[in-house]
Amino acid sequence: MYGFEALTFNINDGYLEAIVRGYRSGLLTAADYNNLCQCETLDDIKMHLTATEYGPYLQNEPSPLHTTTIVEKCTLKLVEEYKHMMCQATEPLSKFLEYITYGHMIDNVVLIVTGTLHERDVHELLEKCHPLGMFDSIASLAVAQNMRELYRLVLVDTPLAPYFSECITSEDLDDMNIEIMRNTLYKAYLEDFYKFCEKLGGATAEIMRDLLAFEADRRAVNITINSIGTELTRDDRKKLYSNFGLLYPYGHEELAVCEDIDQVRGAMEKYPPYQSIFAKLSYGESQMLDKAFYEEEVKRLCLAFEQQFHYGVFFAYMRLREQEIRNLMWISECVAQNQKTRVHDSVVFIF
Amino acid sequence: MAEIESDQLQRASLDETKVKNEDEEEEECILQFLDSLDAYLTLVDSLSSSLRQGWFDLASARQSMGHTLISSKLFDHKVHSASTTINITELDADNPSDPKPQFSLSKWATTKENPSSEVPNNSNLRHRAPTSVLEDGEKSNGTQVSSVVSNDIQKERSKSLTIFGGLVSPKLRTAQVSFETALDKIVEIANARSSMLSSFSQLQLNKKSSS
Repeated sequence: MYGFEALTFNINDGYLEAIVRGYRSGLLTAADYNNLCQCETLDDIKMHLTATEYGPYLQNEPSPLHTTTIVEKCTLKLVEEYKHMMCQATEPLSKFLEYITYGHMIDNVVLIVTGTLHERDVHELLEKCHPLGMFDSIASLAVAQNMRELYRLVLVDTPLAPYFSECITSEDLDDMNIEIMRNTLYKAYLEDFYKFCEKLGGATAEIMRDLLAFEADRRAVNITINSIGTELTRDDRKKLYSNFGLLYPYGHEELAVCEDIDQVRGAMEKYPPYQSIFAKLSYGESQMLDKAFYEEEVKRLCLAFEQQFHYGVFFAYMRLREQEIRNLMWISECVAQNQKTRVHDSVVFIF
Repeated sequence: MAEIESDQLQRASLDETKVKNEDEEEEECILQFLDSLDAYLTLVDSLSSSLRQGWFDLASARQSMGHTLISSKLFDHKVHSASTTINITELDADNPSDPKPQFSLSKWATTKENPSSEVPNNSNLRHRAPTSVLEDGEKSNGTQVSSVVSNDIQKERSKSLTIFGGLVSPKLRTAQVSFETALDKIVEIANARSSMLSSFSQLQLNKKSSS
């Protein structure tokens, strides 16, 4: 019952909420980002990060550094923190934490299947998989020829099995089918996560409803923009939108028929939260749209920490760390390419 | 006596004219060489900007789509025909000691439907902008053909990006265009260099013959 979590939440989940709030205080601040943005080389970045919580993960890396190395080591920290929380969590928090990783699992499945389609070595592909999305039989994905086999041989025993009901066909896997599979799986996952949070009720449901709705809306916009000028039909595009969110259902109707970025803007500006996002962009421009969405997401994620006794803080922390890793990747790329003047194009400050 | 003197005068004026013509030819060669050198340096600078922009756009696309999606691990190892080929023609066949190779690009050839369309362009033409693949007999249809062909090229462009997924970010498409522009510039640089080396060898020949 909403409002009474204060009586019982700390019995099972109080310790981990304290842990995650401690982790949150280790996120990089604006001062850290300012120092990083002034670095001349990747070794300078490594030196600055050594003084942060990323220190133990980067200090032994030999020069010359690569941007992918920085990203991998920073991701390792996130994975370790997640595993620490996971091994301490009880139901239903453990289930909630598992849900957070299903998105990465879907990305890993698609990576392996796409790479296999391109005749790449499975071991090379496994190295590129996100550690949070790994499962035991992931390497067996390489033997599947179509989605039915994919499901029957490998995915039936994974948490993604329930999400496959809408995309089991005997069609051979090609690049577009794989993309449709990815988005269909993600849609099913988001809807399932949403229902799970609703069942939990209370502050968790209230906060996660907002965060997941934003995620669903953002995905709808990205799918629309990325599918402009491709062979994806309007009906197929609409099928990839989630069945919840602020844009559901009327916004989705409009987005499904958009043929350029200005039409997308026209559809989105009818919704006040997204009007402010699109107000930051000039007409015909979509370059800064990602940053605008990330900024809005970060704002909402930070607000999740304002309330206590709910699971939204775990989701918010994981997403904030992922944003931080994206920031570090971007700063590293700008420094490596000697494009420091453009570094603020994509860095999203968290605090 | 007077006849001999007039003959001598005539020969002297002819010699003077000849020397003047040779000087003018030499100056023209020098100008040609300097022009081609200037064009070469401008193109190299322009290439550097295009590549820089392309790499930046690629980093932006990686930021947008995720670093696992934009990765060399997804490159297609299956054998397939090249969508873009380069043709080399030796111009100035009359002067085999001074070959002047001319490079031309055939981009986004749709070899699946029509293998003969792989090398459609006149090899004497230099391509300054992304060109359409033109077939003989269709040149008279003007803009209708070019819009159909540019749609085909767009399809080929989108198809080549599907190694990163069916729905890619517009930033990745921008990066593709930047690298395509860089490729055009590389071919122009090759032609400019060929022209520059040819002018230089002509200049050296003229100098040797005058001394």
